[in-house]
Amino acid sequence: MDHTAEGHAGGHHWEVSIYPFIIALGIFLLAPMAFGLIFEYKMLGIGLAFFVVGLICVFIGVLGWVNEAIGQKELGYSLTGLPIFIVSETMIFLSLFSAYWMMRLSADTWPPEGSPEIGVVLPVFMTIILISSSVTFHIGEGKLDEGDKAGFKTWLLITMALGLLFLGCTIYEYNHLIHEGFRWGTNAKSTAFYSITGFHASHVFIGLGIFLFLLIPALRGKTNMTFTMAAGTYWHFVDIIWFFVVSQIYFW
Amino acid sequence: MKEWIFTTDHKRVGILYLIGTLAAFAVAGLMALAIRLELWEVGPGILSPNQYNVALYFHGAAMILGFLIPGLTGFLANYLIPMMIGAHDVSFPRINALSVWLYWFGIVLALLTFVIPNPPDIMWTGYVPYASQYTSGNSAFYVFTVHLIGFSSILGSVNFLCTIIYMRAPGMGWNQLNFFVWTIAGAFVIQLIFVPVLAAAVTLLLLDKYFGTAFFVPDSGGDVLLYQNLFWFYSHPAVYVILLPAVGALMEIITTMSRNQVFNYKVAVYGGVWGVVLLGSDVWVHHLYTSGLADWLRIGMMVTTLIISVPVGLLTISLVGSLYRGSIQYSTGMLYAASCLFLILLGGLTGIPLAMTSLTLHLAETYFVMAHFHFIMGITATFALFGAIYHWFPKMTGKMYSETLGKISFVLNFIGVNVTFIPLFGIGVEGMPRRYYDYAMFPQFQGAQQIATVGAFIIAVAMALTFVNWIHGAIAGPPAGKNPWGSASLEWTHADSPPGPGNFPTPPTVSEDWTPYNY
Repeated sequence: MDHTAEGHAGGHHWEVSIYPFIIALGIFLLAPMAFGLIFEYKMLGIGLAFFVVGLICVFIGVLGWVNEAIGQKELGYSLTGLPIFIVSETMIFLSLFSAYWMMRLSADTWPPEGSPEIGVVLPVFMTIILISSSVTFHIGEGKLDEGDKAGFKTWLLITMALGLLFLGCTIYEYNHLIHEGFRWGTNAKSTAFYSITGFHASHVFIGLGIFLFLLIPALRGKTNMTFTMAAGTYWHFVDIIWFFVVSQIYFW
Repeated sequence: MKEWIFTTDHKRVGILYLIGTLAAFAVAGLMALAIRLELWEVGPGILSPNQYNVALYFHGAAMILGFLIPGLTGFLANYLIPMMIGAHDVSFPRINALSVWLYWFGIVLALLTFVIPNPPDIMWTGYVPYASQYTSGNSAFYVFTVHLIGFSSILGSVNFLCTIIYMRAPGMGWNQLNFFVWTIAGAFVIQLIFVPVLAAAVTLLLLDKYFGTAFFVPDSGGDVLLYQNLFWFYSHPAVYVILLPAVGALMEIITTMSRNQVFNYKVAVYGGVWGVVLLGSDVWVHHLYTSGLADWLRIGMMVTTLIISVPVGLLTISLVGSLYRGSIQYSTGMLYAASCLFLILLGGLTGIPLAMTSLTLHLAETYFVMAHFHFIMGITATFALFGAIYHWFPKMTGKMYSETLGKISFVLNFIGVNVTFIPLFGIGVEGMPRRYYDYAMFPQFQGAQQIATVGAFIIAVAMALTFVNWIHGAIAGPPAGKNPWGSASLEWTHADSPPGPGNFPTPPTVSEDWTPYNY
């Protein structure tokens, strides 16, 4: 294990890891190449092939990376690094919200014509789900701290189930609204609604992805407290952002 | 080979950044030559109008996103920061490797411009509504180039801020850091906060173009100026992402080569660097003076833009002051650094009229603006980076470049940039609009355009000599030794040339009265 990068002071050989390259390659294939082929050059088949290959690269890359790093000495830098990264994430959301505020505050009437009533019961339910998932993950973290790996896995699975339920609610809601003729390009409100809730949902999806890569090693008995706490911090951040989404989009 | 592609060592990652930045620089430089040739005479020349637009796009995007930012933050920070603070590597070596490869794929994506049908033709700014509604070019590749390189920058910020916080050598206090470390910290704070805003802006452009959303469509309640605001909210601070590490590198070269302390270290760090970081976020509207924003916004930002010359002035005073009563030796790196003191003045002072709303009504979108930002970013920052490559060349390769050839190429370079850009100030004031493919309505400016084109080819010769010098030096130069400049900084005093894995044979510790400038 001491042949790997982190937690190894002053070595005598050049340290290597193949996984960063594989992830970068995967991202390159699945985002720009697939998107360009499908939407710019209308080559759906090849584009989808690039997407799938890219996805496989990212999956293999992250899995290998986690596998390589999870047994290392825990230095805890991630517990500072992740909050620093969250500053960036916050700024993306802030940009989207300012786009929304700018459109809304300069509009003559709001909501613009053609916007159906968006129900507030479902978002309240989704809020409850997301808060509960933060609590369940926190309990799981506590279990891991006590050394109870079985308990950790159980609570992690419960958290992931809640996250999936949240995404299911989003899909249900989108489906419902699209049937009422409220699409991305309908008007300024639909633009703001789908991009902000969609961007938040993509973060829930990424959070679930991180949990998956906590779960896979955990099933083989490998855990890492720093990684778990960092994943939890990210999940709580996604949770907090949701409050802003709900208050700005649904209750204003 | 495997040890390079899959490396997680910060020095090798740094070299990979360097190769990428120089490749981007070379291709973007060729685009500049094509643009200059096209402008040689009134009327259509060697390029079609569409090729001209693509050349302008690639030149801007590759120079800023592919060369200046990754060269000054990616390459210099990677190579130098861990060694300057006495660490064996960065805090997240694998994330560092991910950063460099994301950047490389960003470069690959930008280079695809030359082989794909419908290449992007939207300048490096990607202004809407052209980029989102009217262009037949592939705006998606522009957007994803920004995404890849931006994501790489954000990961780099996280990495280096953590490294600077946690991995300093035992005993190294905040006021004992190399000045360059501070400037990099400032630059990465800016990257961390502002890059996501650019990423958001271009994402909205992508959604508008390909999915029919209404962010920038006024008829559906969108706002075109929203894009410009978001774009410049990042892209003005990006100037400081380039300027700060450039000043940092200049400071290291000047203090080393004149055997001196940093003049006014604390003022320059806490007032200069952090003043720029703080104020830099509140000046972006000076790019939008003529776009019809409210007066209170324009005049407010005029005031902040003028005030930011105070922290920039503090940095300049420290640069000049560090020469004071020094024992100055002129290596090629030092020549580049010293010439920057002149160039930064020319680029900085021509910025003052552009900060005024009233004068900008006349000067906006003319060659004056173009010459101004080429002087401050294109030339000062590039000269600082080239000086830095010369200065740390012995450390990176363990060998010495040819000082004679270096000085010849420097002189040519310095003549070339001034011949190219000084005439452009003149025709800018007289009203020559920038970006134009053909200037048939302004035939009186053909002479100045031709002088500028000649200057551009002088630069090209100088660059070719520089590249030959580096490549020859890296392969066949004489051994340089551990510390050819007699520097007191850790990367020279404690590490071999070139440094091995883990940087230091024995991890350094520093005492309370140590500074990197103890001469």
